Amino acid sequence: MKALAEAAVDAAMGAGASYADARAVSLRRQYVITKNSQVDDLSDAESEGVGVRVLVGGAWGFAGEGRLDETAARDAALRAVDFARAAPGSRQTELASLDAQSGSYRTQMERDPFDVPLTEKIELCLRAEEGMRQSKVKVTLAMVRAQREHKVLATSDGVAIEQELVECGGGIDAYASEGDVTQIRSYPSQHGGVSGQGGWEFVEELALDQEAPRVGEQAVALLSAAECPASTTTIVLSPEQAVMQVHESVGHPTELDRVYGTEAAYAGTSFLSPDDLGNLRYGSEKMNITSDATTPRGLGTFGFDDEGVPAQREPIVAEGLLCGFLSSRETAARIGAGVGGCMRADGWSRMPLVRMTNLHLEPGEGSFDELIQDVAEGVYMETNKSWSIDDKRLNFQFGTQIAWEIRNGKLGRMFRDATYTGVTPIFWGKLDAVAGPEEWQLFGLTNCGKGQPGQEAHVSHGASPARFRGVEVGVSA
Amino acid sequence: MSRALEIAEQALSTVRGGEAEVLVHAERSGVARFAASIVHQPTLIDNAVVRARVVQDGQVGWAATNRSDKESLGALMSRAGEAAGSAKPDPDFPGLGPRAEYPDVGGYDEETASLGAEAQARLAAAAIEAAPDFGLYGYFTSGVTEIALVSSSGLSAQQSMTDAVCLCLAADDGASGWSERTSWRVGELDPAEPAREAAETAAKTRGAGTLEPGTYAAVLEPFAVAELVRWFSYDSLGAQGYLEERSYFCGRIGEQAFDPKISLADDALSTANLPKAFDFEGTPKQRVDMIESGVIRDVVWDRVTAARAGDGHASTGHAPPDAWRFFGPMPTAFSMAGGEAGSTEELAALVGDGIYVTRLHYLSIVDPRGGVLTGMTRDGTFRIRDGKVAEPLVNLRFTVAMSDVLAEVPALTREPMLVNLNELYDERFPHAALVPALATRRFHITGTGSGPGL
Repeated sequence: MKALAEAAVDAAMGAGASYADARAVSLRRQYVITKNSQVDDLSDAESEGVGVRVLVGGAWGFAGEGRLDETAARDAALRAVDFARAAPGSRQTELASLDAQSGSYRTQMERDPFDVPLTEKIELCLRAEEGMRQSKVKVTLAMVRAQREHKVLATSDGVAIEQELVECGGGIDAYASEGDVTQIRSYPSQHGGVSGQGGWEFVEELALDQEAPRVGEQAVALLSAAECPASTTTIVLSPEQAVMQVHESVGHPTELDRVYGTEAAYAGTSFLSPDDLGNLRYGSEKMNITSDATTPRGLGTFGFDDEGVPAQREPIVAEGLLCGFLSSRETAARIGAGVGGCMRADGWSRMPLVRMTNLHLEPGEGSFDELIQDVAEGVYMETNKSWSIDDKRLNFQFGTQIAWEIRNGKLGRMFRDATYTGVTPIFWGKLDAVAGPEEWQLFGLTNCGKGQPGQEAHVSHGASPARFRGVEVGVSA
Repeated sequence: MSRALEIAEQALSTVRGGEAEVLVHAERSGVARFAASIVHQPTLIDNAVVRARVVQDGQVGWAATNRSDKESLGALMSRAGEAAGSAKPDPDFPGLGPRAEYPDVGGYDEETASLGAEAQARLAAAAIEAAPDFGLYGYFTSGVTEIALVSSSGLSAQQSMTDAVCLCLAADDGASGWSERTSWRVGELDPAEPAREAAETAAKTRGAGTLEPGTYAAVLEPFAVAELVRWFSYDSLGAQGYLEERSYFCGRIGEQAFDPKISLADDALSTANLPKAFDFEGTPKQRVDMIESGVIRDVVWDRVTAARAGDGHASTGHAPPDAWRFFGPMPTAFSMAGGEAGSTEELAALVGDGIYVTRLHYLSIVDPRGGVLTGMTRDGTFRIRDGKVAEPLVNLRFTVAMSDVLAEVPALTREPMLVNLNELYDERFPHAALVPALATRRFHITGTGSGPGL
């Protein structure tokens, strides 16, 4: 793979590129899904190819070929050069300087998830399903997954990197239904469960089968729960919902390519401007956000990003003040700060884009119970169900699968169909407490979409339960 | 014989015993993505994915690869066989699809297929040059997608399809407008048209004001209608959501649930859409009338859900591509009947007082069973006053039940428009909605967001 990546770079430079990089990628993904006690999906997919990115006269070009041989690599390089040459518009493209890098990175794990027999995975799923079964639960679903990505990066400025990233995860869902009401309850997350970088031990620690009875019982209980009433009140978000809030209202708006407008037509831009760096109050002093590509078990953990920039841990918001952006070598040069480090591509057939790596809400202090004790009236919300935010990442509306009334410092009756809405910096300004490190949890999500053609990034976020005052809840049609 | 069909047959020939099916999904495409009137992410893709399904004693296993040499194809079938050997027997498995005859639906255009990188860049440039007063954001793309499907049950299907799409956001600080064109014949697509339309809309959006939350009458352009229908379909218009009781249609088949002017079908056989002859199980495509004159008629089915229903339903040819298999059968060729209005201006005149919505952004399903969606408007939101499109508005948050939006529809435009629905994730699978603009008496606004523009 190294030889063909280097051959692609040589071919591109020989054809007139001023810069070139080539990623040779071999990817394997496995899914086991059971539904209503039947095997619903048992699939094992592999994909390999080379993606070559070039700069010609300041214009980017990219081509991907679904083969791993030197001829394909050279062909891709020449096609990328041709595309860049044909691209309309004139531009100057500078890249932040990067010292020549060579090295390797490999996920540490105890048990390779691909060594776990399919029968063992199926049995785990069926066991978890069995635990969720209740009379009004119409659908039970359990899923485990595994992925291995082996990639080699070579660039024309001396980068030669080899990495092997292994991740796995799982999740369970119970759908209960009665009359005109259908409710879902999931663990640990609705969106295909959660994943982490590491071995099968990650899935075992999720204890899907042990959590299943609670999930099934809560799905049924939601059928008779009251709808969350409309009010302006204090909310406490579970770690899983808090990370969705971080992802949508901090992660995406701090991607510097969005700030510069290159995602405007699809995912949107950002309410932030380059001048906001170091100046903009993003939230209260309790708000501390860190981008960390070194987090153990993070899906955004690597040795080097897809431009060859070594993994970094950087503050993005410190005590409520914006102090960093997620960047690439190109956008870092444009803003005049940093070297990038957040460029990631979905497989071999897509250009790297500025993506989140692992983005965390840093813990505060105290327990979940202490967070609740200081609430006279409010709502505790758990497990994301719906999510939407505007094209500049300001107005958002989230729904959760389940919620509980908080009254006089204690959790009370259950609510269904809970929603809350706000505007990003105003909402984060209402953050008045984050629970401590003992409550902090990491969630790995595999469905972060961006780019045209579309790319799905795998990212992790950590958070403790977080409390916000004066939030509008109970939005309905 | 196409290369895709050759690969599929070669893979199938390596199977010894048991039932098997091989699907080849091949793509050769280019995307000239532009921002601020500069092509900044040009992507060329050439790939063929081979997907195998092996059945052993009612146990089903899947595997996929993008290697097509003989050894790799043999290994692929072995991996699928191993997966099947580990599975449990599925009593609902309907068996592999039978041999079938497929109509010639068109959908392939040699001129579109022959477009290379230089031509794709040139067509992107044509869009950019047509909107000189704004930065242009979006892309021009074209590609050839080949699907070939063979099975040990004698099924053999192959289709090559082309598509060309030009998406245009004209924008600067404080102004933005949107338009697009989609066709399977590039000769019918002039990239300058959507660019000019986007710029014309953008020019009217400066100085946008806010709006009090509440329920408003609204005119929805086809881009907005397509997004609403697409998001409604995820739970409500496919048999999986229906059988699992997440669909708004549950218990409502035959009910007059919507305005009699609303008729919604899925019709992949129409050459006005992006036509397809068969689905991903090899079942011939059928037109399915989901809503007829406001009456709920049916959802779309594949072989798996039809067998699971066990009530005489048959597949309507809506088995999804692999990447969507989790969601079950889905409509991918929406066709909403047009109405009597000659233009969106006529719709505004009928609305009298309300809002005008060009495009929607980032929808999400709040309550699947209730058909409740939320999202934002963008790139051309206006107030309608005295029957005319008036001052621009900031982006609005809506939270709507589809049963409300479609309950009272004063009119729809006569000519539906083909709106691209393919976001180019996974393997290329061109699909689109043929929908008119629509006026509704009820569109529930629950908040305000950012203004138009960058």
